[in-house]
Amino acid sequence: MTYIEKPPVPNVVKYDEPMATKRNKLEVMLNTGSDIYQGACKKRGSTLKDEYRHASGTAYMDPRDMARLGVKNWDTALVKTDWGEVVVFTAHSRDAPHEGQIFICKGPWANVIVSPETYCCCDPTYKGVEATIEKTDKEPLLMADLMAEVYMKYDKDAEKSTNRLTEKKINVGITKPEE
Amino acid sequence: MAYEEPITDYDEIVENCTCAFCGCNCDDLTYLIKDGHVVGVRHACRLGASKVMEDMDQRLLVPMIRNEEGDLVETDWDTALDKAAELIAGSVRPVFYGWSETSVETMKHGIRLGELVGAVLDNQATICHGPSLQAVQNAGYPVNTLGEVKNRADMIVYSGNNAMNSHPRHLGRYSAFPRGYFRKRGRFDKTIVTMDPRYTDTAKMSDIWVGFEQNGDYEFYNAMRAVLRGKKLKKDVISGIPKEDIEDLVEAMKTTQYGSLFFGLGLTHTLSKQRNIDIAINLIQDLNKFTKWNLVPMRGHFNVNGFNIFMAFEMGFPYGVDFSRGYPRYMNGETNTIDLLTREEPDVFMVIAADPGAHFPGGANRHLANIPVIQIDIHWGPSTEIADIVLPGSFIGVEAAGTSYRMDGVPIYMKKAIDKPETCRDDEWIVRELHERVQKIKGSQIASK
Ligand code: SF4
Repeated sequence: MTYIEKPPVPNVVKYDEPMATKRNKLEVMLNTGSDIYQGACKKRGSTLKDEYRHASGTAYMDPRDMARLGVKNWDTALVKTDWGEVVVFTAHSRDAPHEGQIFICKGPWANVIVSPETYCCCDPTYKGVEATIEKTDKEPLLMADLMAEVYMKYDKDAEKSTNRLTEKKINVGITKPEE
Repeated sequence: MAYEEPITDYDEIVENCTCAFCGCNCDDLTYLIKDGHVVGVRHACRLGASKVMEDMDQRLLVPMIRNEEGDLVETDWDTALDKAAELIAGSVRPVFYGWSETSVETMKHGIRLGELVGAVLDNQATICHGPSLQAVQNAGYPVNTLGEVKNRADMIVYSGNNAMNSHPRHLGRYSAFPRGYFRKRGRFDKTIVTMDPRYTDTAKMSDIWVGFEQNGDYEFYNAMRAVLRGKKLKKDVISGIPKEDIEDLVEAMKTTQYGSLFFGLGLTHTLSKQRNIDIAINLIQDLNKFTKWNLVPMRGHFNVNGFNIFMAFEMGFPYGVDFSRGYPRYMNGETNTIDLLTREEPDVFMVIAADPGAHFPGGANRHLANIPVIQIDIHWGPSTEIADIVLPGSFIGVEAAGTSYRMDGVPIYMKKAIDKPETCRDDEWIVRELHERVQKIKGSQIASK
């Protein structure tokens, strides 16, 4: 058993109430922060492994929102904000209910989409960012691939100018292999 | 979760070690050591144990430099240090970021190096409790120690923070559960309140959960202050909380004997930022008209407070100190790492014991891809992916000794338990060595003029 094994999360049940109509895209508020699994995974130094992708690259959602979007635990979703977009897993939040909010742990995945705006007080806005979430068939990238894809530091072909805030050329996620 | 057999296979026990993870700095850990490795930890929480019993797969063992193809290749210490010193000496606007997971002794050399080259020295506070430090400058700092909380407090408030996840032993060791001198029955003598928009794990085990709206903290605190000053609330619902509930809560806070408020990043990261903390401090000051209240920010890394205290003591400013004019300057929104990076100012970035790859917003990190990055760390992590020179340090509290400051400002000496891997060096040694080499380069530049 590893230290980061998560307790099982219940699977999503479909709510058959009028509010639970299926949508393709939800407008949500994005919060980030730390959680114990992500912290343990990061500090013991297993960031290159798949467990970090699951611990950090997961959007925790309210089960009703998940039903609306038609996603199950460990399905994948595309989260977009004004600052970028990233593919993450979806999972049932242990803190639910909190409709209209998603929580992504601090880490390279959340960083792509949070706001670097500090409003002159040194601290970027990590919480309360407006976002949209939609179902996708791409899969989240592993940490090293994500860093290479987003920041393109050693990509000779990458235009220097694409590497700036103003021109967002971020396309993060890989297409799932055919089963 | 599966039952795990206790560890019986070890050669040696080292007692009273200090955990090097979160701001609680639990100093009662016992390490079980076999063949020079920590195979087990007693008393630590899940986070502390995961860090102390590290995963050796990703340990950085040898210095590395990026080659032309963009791969990190191993090299010897001399080459790596010379290359790093050359970059630092030749830079116009260097930023030295990090320091929170290393000892105060290392920071001492860091300041000398920063002063020499006119760098900006900044630490993790800039992306977590920076607003709190500004608020402390604005509104004061009614602080207490964690020992007082344990012995005296009968009401403990967690605001915008999930201690069960980020500081797992905080409730068990300092606040809710321990039996204190005046609180003989432990948990039964204490009221735990959580104020957080999320129903977190901490909220689940508290007596009262106040789930105000997202970004509603400023309004909520102001409403509490108004009630405290005897005003009538005009709205029925404030930040999603019925006004009767606010009145009850304030009444409970007023009639307690000794209260302590712990606040976390839930307050500093939302839109009102430092104004949230201002108002929280003012609330504490108002409450002090009736009874004794104090507050403590929940600091994340074990020595993030150490850097702020050390910097404030040495240079007069807690973080984001700019030496570019030869004397220390500090200007929020100007000399802080995130603002510097989004404005694309720095031309060399040194990361020591920190992980911007995992913590900075993408918009700030993108500039790191354009400039040389020097990393001093113990693990291969997100930052290593964008680093050009990697210098493997050692693990404070396990492989190296050093001083750190707990979240309430109590200094703790962390002792050494095992030897570091042969090819690694102490952080203190690395920074001192960099300083010497940079000084040599600068000296010859002046001589040739
Ligand atoms: S609470 Fe913090 S300092 Fe204490 S053992 Fe856990 S991680 Fe370490």
